Parts: sequence; C-alpha cells; structure tokens
Amino acid sequence: MGADASDLSLVRRVQRGDKGAFDALVLKYQHKLVKLVMRYVRNPAEAEDIAQEAFIKAYRALPQFRGDSAFYTWLYRIAINTAKNAVVSRDRSPIEYSIDRSNEESYEMQGRMKDSETPEALVLTDEIRSIVNAAIDALPEDLRTAIVLRELEGLSYEEIAAAMDCPVGTVRSRIFRAREAIDRRLREVFEGGLGRTEELG
Amino acid sequence: MNEELDSQLSAMFDDELASGECELLARRLSRDADLKARWERYAVIAAAIRAERGVRLNARVARRVSVIVGSEPEFAGLAAPRRAPRRWARPAAGAAVAAGVAAVSILWLRGQAPPTTVSVAPPLAAVATVRVTTPAVAPAPSPRPGGSDSYVVPPAARGAAAVVPATELANYVVAHSMFSPPMARRNLLSSFMTSEPGEAGAIPVSTNGAQDPPRDAQSNPQ
Repeated sequence: MGADASDLSLVRRVQRGDKGAFDALVLKYQHKLVKLVMRYVRNPAEAEDIAQEAFIKAYRALPQFRGDSAFYTWLYRIAINTAKNAVVSRDRSPIEYSIDRSNEESYEMQGRMKDSETPEALVLTDEIRSIVNAAIDALPEDLRTAIVLRELEGLSYEEIAAAMDCPVGTVRSRIFRAREAIDRRLREVFEGGLGRTEELG
Repeated sequence: MNEELDSQLSAMFDDELASGECELLARRLSRDADLKARWERYAVIAAAIRAERGVRLNARVARRVSVIVGSEPEFAGLAAPRRAPRRWARPAAGAAVAAGVAAVSILWLRGQAPPTTVSVAPPLAAVATVRVTTPAVAPAPSPRPGGSDSYVVPPAARGAAAVVPATELANYVVAHSMFSPPMARRNLLSSFMTSEPGEAGAIPVSTNGAQDPPRDAQSNPQ
C-alpha cells in the first residue's frame, strides 16, 4: 500500500500522454482545490476559475513532476500561488481567465460557465448534500462509522481498523459498501445524471 | 459493473490500493466513462460529507479543464527528450569504449617490451626504468660496484620481444581508426613517425606501460 500510489499511477499515465488520467485527478481534487482557493476569494465562481487555472498550470508542469512530494501537495502549492497572483492582479485590473477564444468549443463553454452561477446550481448543491447526509444517517452503524472516519477525519484504513477493532480488509469493504449505498441514493434521485457532468445543470 | 472492480476503485480513491493494482486500474479509469463517473460521485460524496461550505458539488471545473487539456499538445513529445540522448549516446559511448580499448592496447603493447632497444646503451635503460618506477622523486640510481642489480628489469625480460615495430603499431591504429577520433589518430601516427629511430624501424618501449621518452633519451648522450 503506497501512500499516493493512486495519484502517482495516474500522474505517470498523464506523463505518458494519457489525458484521460488527468480527468480523474481533476475529478478527485476539484472540490478540495476550490475550497482551498476560497480562502483567498469569496466568490465561488471566481474560486472555480482560479482552481481551473491551477489545474491547467499543473497539467503543463506535469512533465517536470518527479513524485518527490505527493501530487496533491504539489497541486496545493500551485493553487495557492495562482490564487495569490489572481488576488494581486484583480486589484490592478479585472481578472480574465479566458480560454483560447479562437477555439469555438472553448468559447461556447465559457458561456455555459455562467450556468453554474445560477441559483439552480446552488440549490442542486444543497440537494446533493442533503441526500448524502440522509443516506449516511440511514447506513448501518459500522458502515457509517467507517465512512465518516475516512472522509471527515481523514484516517487511513489501518487507523480505522485500529479504531473499530477489525481487520483492514473489513474496513475497505465497509467503506466501499457505504459509498455504494450513498451513491445508489444519489443515482435514484438524479436518475443516473450525477457523475456525468455534461448532463448536469 | 463488477463489484470487486468497484471495491478496488473505492480503495484507490482513498490511496489504499496496492501500487500494482493502481497501475492497472488507472489505465481502465482513464478510458472507462462509467468508472470515471463513479469516481466522480465518490468525490462528490466526500465533498458533501466534509460539508465544504461555498463549494458547489456540481462544479464544472473538471469539464472545463478536460476541454482545455484536450486542446493541449501531447506530453509524449515533451517526455521524448529524456530518452533522446540515448539514441546518439549509445553508439558514441561504444566508439569511446573502443577507442579507449585501442589506446590501452597500444600502451600495453608498448609496455610489454624492455625499456630500450638492443642498440640502446645500458645507462639509458637504467634512466628509463627509474622514471617508470619512481616517476618524480627518485634520482637515477648510480651503478653499484657489483653491477648485478643495477637495474630493475630482469635480464630475461629484456631478451624477450624487445621491440614492437612502429609499422605494426601504425597498422593497428589504421585498422582501428573507425573507433578513434581523427585528431587522436593523427597524433598517434605522427608520434610513430617522429619517434621512429630510423634504421632500426622500431620504437623503444618500457616495461611498465608508462610513456617512454625515446627522443629525450636518444638526444641525451649521457
């Protein structure tokens, strides 16, 4: 079990030219990065723009990433610097996180970016959160404890196993089953829409 | 969807999957849309549990980044320079090794013979031998009255294969010229020509493979 082995295997794939592996890294860390950037900017839409820029910078710098530190640590530093620079330049002039305007698809996507700023999008977030919370409440005690210790407390499987006095394999199974139960609820509500971002909103 | 695969995906999401399994699953994850959608939902669930205030769970960051990254140049071209030096370095290294072996062989061949040719006088042989054994510090030994151990090289060695003809060495260098740089080859050949003792047609060589000073020795009448 190597810490960061998961990220590193994805990073190595990206370095070999597999862009799809970078999607997985972005999907995994986008929320954490937006939350991090929101220490510097209060506007969620602006935070998402900065997080996006940080991801793009990270992608371009990825050939130089040697894995000396964890990928998220490296990404964290890029995001912090990007956010600081954005705050400084915002004070001087309006920030423009423009995607290449010669690219029609990207330009069209910029228009769709506004969708996420609508009240509906905010309502959707609240709805997802309440569904997840309800699903967690409905979980058996052992599954709920395992998933909460993992996601809320950030404990490793080994630490959870020690806390719950059970084998690591059991922890892995409990966390997986908890996720599946929550995911099932989400899919029931959104009819398979969640997780397919193009259908969201 | 295979439950074992999903279980692995869940463990991989938590960085709790063995690296070997991660490699295999990472490949599949980057290509399989269903698996990627599940991966994203795991991330949404994690963010929802952490109740990250202000963070929108339907953020479009990933989608936007994916579109931009899709238009970026491939990394394969950027990663190539790491391997590029090997293409030219391999034959160059081979040539360097071959040239080195040739040079060592020449020096070794020269070192197999006694310090002087038959025509060289004994005092000259003594000077050459001393230079090799104690290069800078030791003074040239003066012949002892007994005369039996006034030199280091045993008499038997002096008699065997005393010389290496310059022409053979020149042929050797020419034969191996493809492995040595032109400048070094030219220097060696010119060295043979200038060091050739004329009528003898041979180069004096020392016993220890160190460089002989034949011209110095010959020009120094003693």
